[in-house]
Amino acid sequence: MANAAKRFEVIPGQPRPQIAFTEVTLQLGGKTIIENLSLGVRAGEFLCVVGASGCGKTTALRLAAGLYQPTSGRVDFDGQLMLHPRREIAIVFQDYGKALLPWRTAAGNVSLALEAGGMPSAERPARIEELLRTVGLPGHAGKYPAEMSGGMQQRLQIARCLAQEPKTLLMDEPFGALDAMTRQGLQDEVLALVAASGATVIFVTHDLDEAIYLGDRVIGLLPHPGRIGIELAVNLPRPRDQLSTREHPEFLRLRRQLFDFIKATEQ
Amino acid sequence: MNRHATIWLWRAASFAVAASFIALWQLIANLKLVSPVFLPGPDRAWASLVRGFSNGDLWSKLAGTLEHMAYGWLAASIAGIAIGAIIGSSRIMRTYVAPSLEFLRPLPVSAIIPVAIAMLGLTQAMALFVIAFGAIWPIMLATIHGFAAVEPRLYEVARSLQMSRLAVIFKVALPSASPDILAGMRLSLTVALILSVVCEILAGLDGLGHWVLLSARAFRSADLFAGVILLGVTGYVTSVAMSMAEHRLLAWQASQR
Ligand SMILES: Nc1ncnc2c1ncn2[C@@H]1O[C@H](COP(=O)(O)OP(=O)(O)OP(=O)(O)O)[C@@H](O)[C@H]1O
Ligand SMILES: [Mg+2]
Repeated sequence: MANAAKRFEVIPGQPRPQIAFTEVTLQLGGKTIIENLSLGVRAGEFLCVVGASGCGKTTALRLAAGLYQPTSGRVDFDGQLMLHPRREIAIVFQDYGKALLPWRTAAGNVSLALEAGGMPSAERPARIEELLRTVGLPGHAGKYPAEMSGGMQQRLQIARCLAQEPKTLLMDEPFGALDAMTRQGLQDEVLALVAASGATVIFVTHDLDEAIYLGDRVIGLLPHPGRIGIELAVNLPRPRDQLSTREHPEFLRLRRQLFDFIKATEQ
Repeated sequence: MNRHATIWLWRAASFAVAASFIALWQLIANLKLVSPVFLPGPDRAWASLVRGFSNGDLWSKLAGTLEHMAYGWLAASIAGIAIGAIIGSSRIMRTYVAPSLEFLRPLPVSAIIPVAIAMLGLTQAMALFVIAFGAIWPIMLATIHGFAAVEPRLYEVARSLQMSRLAVIFKVALPSASPDILAGMRLSLTVALILSVVCEILAGLDGLGHWVLLSARAFRSADLFAGVILLGVTGYVTSVAMSMAEHRLLAWQASQR
């Protein structure tokens, strides 16, 4: 009962958050990594998470994925306690090289998610082709991950995640290892994909510009232990544009605010 | 272009070495440096091989040895992969079982043979047991290593896809461990051949081992050498066949380097 009282309150007139962290604390190896984190992410929201290295961004994302269970507090998904990972929540890992099956072709890697979802094998090829086209990899179905560039591998991982038809997409510095040009292209593609699918997104990045460019809301974490230090609503018009959005006065204001926050945490 | 030239040079060189080895052998035999009762020339060994194959004797012996080898190796592969997978996929199993394995592994198979004979007699079953017991180690240890080395990230992908336990084993763990497993199976092939010959000699089972033993006892040195050459060829051919199978099955690895 005590726990129920602490639950994320459903505020009348406002929709219930799709993902709700309620006073979440996580200890690993006797160390408190996340402390007393409360956070609601509504359906269809694009939330960006920034913070200094080692402040617990990845850990928070793994809690949202159900890959970790909180030491205390609770994580709910669609109003249900999250006890294990689920297919409706897809996670795009930063190290795409490790998250793909090297013995399966691009088509085979996408197929893994369809197989797990129980799609009959006759229907898979058409769906695989469609997904590969969506992420900009048409004609690469027969390639092995090792034959693809970093950007292509990350697209492939996104295709596999889309094959899960997720309600929530968790992304952990997905473009961190890619060059600036590839990164900007993929940012716009992700925005388009998300707009088309209506998925909720939690996007971890250490690139402040990227966070503001993509997000509806940006939160900054404080380290040791990880907790929320700043929360900014991003009221920039959509669709976003690489040139005009980044020159928008509001963009520059938010950028300044976030920059000052990060600088303060690093001292 | 350059690479090709080097490969051909190496082939020519190894062919030349083999040819000069046979020539030397012929020379020693012709000069009778060693009594022909013990050392036939390559000409006589070849004649015996041709004779053995044309009257069918060697075919049946070869078939016998291949059969012992194949059954023992297959039994070792199935058991080795199954046991290795169970041990390798659980850290608890690895910590508790690995020390016992380290104790059993260096145990020479020859020490098991008297035990096997005492329990099973001089039978096919004894041969199967001994061959499988000897051949299981490389496969099992390679499988344990392969399963322990599966990228943890892939298990997380499997979890977030809510894949069944069976699907995780067959779609993630086994393929990931397959390079290790196949390498272990190739090593075991040689062990299986050696133990097939040993068991045939000990238990008088039909096969090349028995043929070699009888030829030696009757001082038919040409037949003896024909058997030994055939065993060498068998070892070489099975190992090359296995390498080719590995190459095909692991085609995806070629692109990784
Ligand atoms: N399994 C674990 N056991 C113990 N400590 C851990 C574990 N995983 C992470 N940590 C610690 O928790 C802290 C937060 O780690 P996390 O990976 O979440 O940081 P991050 O914000 O994602 O950092 P980065 O920006 O470098 O990716 C770090 O200090 C890390 O050392
Ligand atoms: Mg991280």
